[in-house]
Amino acid sequence: MLYFVARRLVSALSVVLATLIATFALFFIAPTDPAAAICGERNCTQQRYEEITKNLHLDRPKVEQFADYTIGIFVGRDFTTSGVTQHCAAPCLGFSFKNDRPVTELIGSRFPVTLSLVLGYAVLVLTIGVFVGSMAAKRRGSLGDRALMTSTLVVSSVPYYIVALMVALYLTIVYPILPRGEWTPPSENFGKFIAGLLTPWLVLGVYNCTSYARYSRGSMVETLSEDYIRTARAKGLSDRVVTYKHALRSGLIPVVTIFGLDIAGSLGGAIFTERIFDLPGLGQLVLDSLNNYDLPVIMGTVLVASVIIVAMNFLVDIGYSLIDPRVRLS
Amino acid sequence: MSIGSPDSTVGVEEHPASAEPVRTAATPHGKSPSRIAFDRLRKDKVAVICASIVLFFVLVAILAPLLAKLEGQDISTFNTQQIDEFGYPTIGITPDHWFGIEPKTGRDNFARWVYGARPSLIIAFLATVVGTAIGVVMGLLAGFLGGWVDRVISWLIDFVLSLPFLLFAIALVPIVESLRGGSFNLTPEDQANIRFYVLIFVLAFFGWAGLARIIRGEVLSLREREFVLAAKAIGVPTYQVLFKELLPNLVAPIVISASLAVPAYVTAEAGLSFLGVGLVEPKPSWGQTIAVATNWYKADPLYLWLPVIGITALVLALALLGDAIRDAFDPKTRR
Repeated sequence: MLYFVARRLVSALSVVLATLIATFALFFIAPTDPAAAICGERNCTQQRYEEITKNLHLDRPKVEQFADYTIGIFVGRDFTTSGVTQHCAAPCLGFSFKNDRPVTELIGSRFPVTLSLVLGYAVLVLTIGVFVGSMAAKRRGSLGDRALMTSTLVVSSVPYYIVALMVALYLTIVYPILPRGEWTPPSENFGKFIAGLLTPWLVLGVYNCTSYARYSRGSMVETLSEDYIRTARAKGLSDRVVTYKHALRSGLIPVVTIFGLDIAGSLGGAIFTERIFDLPGLGQLVLDSLNNYDLPVIMGTVLVASVIIVAMNFLVDIGYSLIDPRVRLS
Repeated sequence: MSIGSPDSTVGVEEHPASAEPVRTAATPHGKSPSRIAFDRLRKDKVAVICASIVLFFVLVAILAPLLAKLEGQDISTFNTQQIDEFGYPTIGITPDHWFGIEPKTGRDNFARWVYGARPSLIIAFLATVVGTAIGVVMGLLAGFLGGWVDRVISWLIDFVLSLPFLLFAIALVPIVESLRGGSFNLTPEDQANIRFYVLIFVLAFFGWAGLARIIRGEVLSLREREFVLAAKAIGVPTYQVLFKELLPNLVAPIVISASLAVPAYVTAEAGLSFLGVGLVEPKPSWGQTIAVATNWYKADPLYLWLPVIGITALVLALALLGDAIRDAFDPKTRR
């Protein structure tokens, strides 16, 4: 087991390192003039341009710049803008010269929004998706099952952003059945916090439920045909105990794997949802940064998102091997 | 999944449990598996309807200049005299403008709609071709050669699959533009062209890894089979073993993956254009029109609904067709 964890950890770390190098190369080596790109084309004064060049040591070799950036992540570094020196505490992911703030701070200020969005979504998708899927698996082949599976296939084939956009425009504004999406910190007004996130949660949850229902149905159908389920039935256990205690536990394993990766992906910014429902999360931060060419912010967010995915991948693998020992052998 | 051309199906019949006994009895001997799958597909009503919808959009895209000429309009004429001072169009559907005109600019909606089908289909198709080609080659090499080649390619697959796709796509756009001297130094046409190629590159870059992983797995089991051993024993060169012996056995996973990739790419292209990182003016594109039309949806719902219906119908038809193709090639997954 320890060997398995160590091997997984090494491969996860190698992917993180490669992502770091790839993003650095993308942002600091590919553009012919990173200082100009970071400074931006609008209102870039000569003084600011030189400041950025000096701050990021862009006149020194690339390897040294990369070392600076990497060391900054672990111990922090200083940036001077307009004569004022700002300390960018570890983990320092660079400095946004547009906002005069360290990137980590910007990401930190947006992360709670994305996190709240994803947590509510996770609860919805797991409960409804798995419940619907296992119900369908139990009644396999019935009219209800087939109608359900066809409708989930159709719904999940429509692009997500179209569904979200239509709900946002028509169900929250034209016919205000659902509350409009907006962000209120929960510490400020909890009721408003819930109301503002309700529609995004529902749209994300119901849309993605369809694929979860199909995954869990497929996995439950397989599990329900196993010998040990027949044994459990033969012992005279009630239908409910067999389905929800014996079958669901092992039927859920593949669903949990997909769930982990899905959540990790969304934590890097549920970009469409945030854009359409006007929630100031990580995805919105990236889009804003794109509009004013704020490359350090985009780079920092890409790094954070990749690390979240790799970490979640690692956790899912470890969790999987704990539940199912056969995984460790491969 | 053991599907291959007739000369390489040694051992397939050894597993009757995975084959459909009724089907083998009903199909005459000598049909290739692709042929059998195609026959199944033709009997699938949903597949036929979806294929006709897709064909309709393909025809619209190909005949876009002709259709626009038929209407007598083009995509770039500003009919400002038909726009009031607030930017609202003063005309609705007229014999001159079949779908009305755009708010603010007054360009013809019908012409922009038929031309808008083009980038969606071209980008999705090209990205699928490039991504599939890379995926197949990488998967074949990794599975067949093994050793360090396999380790490097497998690691690359893991790496690509753990990158956040949307974020990377967004990040690549300003990078590539700054390589070309920044968006402010480019003409709109140049910028639109760059975006077009960046989109294909990004979609293919993230698309090959999934298929490569599947192909690698298939090749790992195929390379131990007798026909591969026989080919190796008589001294057939490696590339011929890969492309003449192994590739025909991989038709099913390749076709399935490609047919599911196309709708995903159409969705991604329009989604990125909607976010402002895909296609830009002056290239007409549905995703970009949707983004603009969200400002006018109350005054001019048709302007919003045209591209929405276009994308929804196209993606839905492509996705359901892809699903039907998967069922036809791999009956075990049938619901």
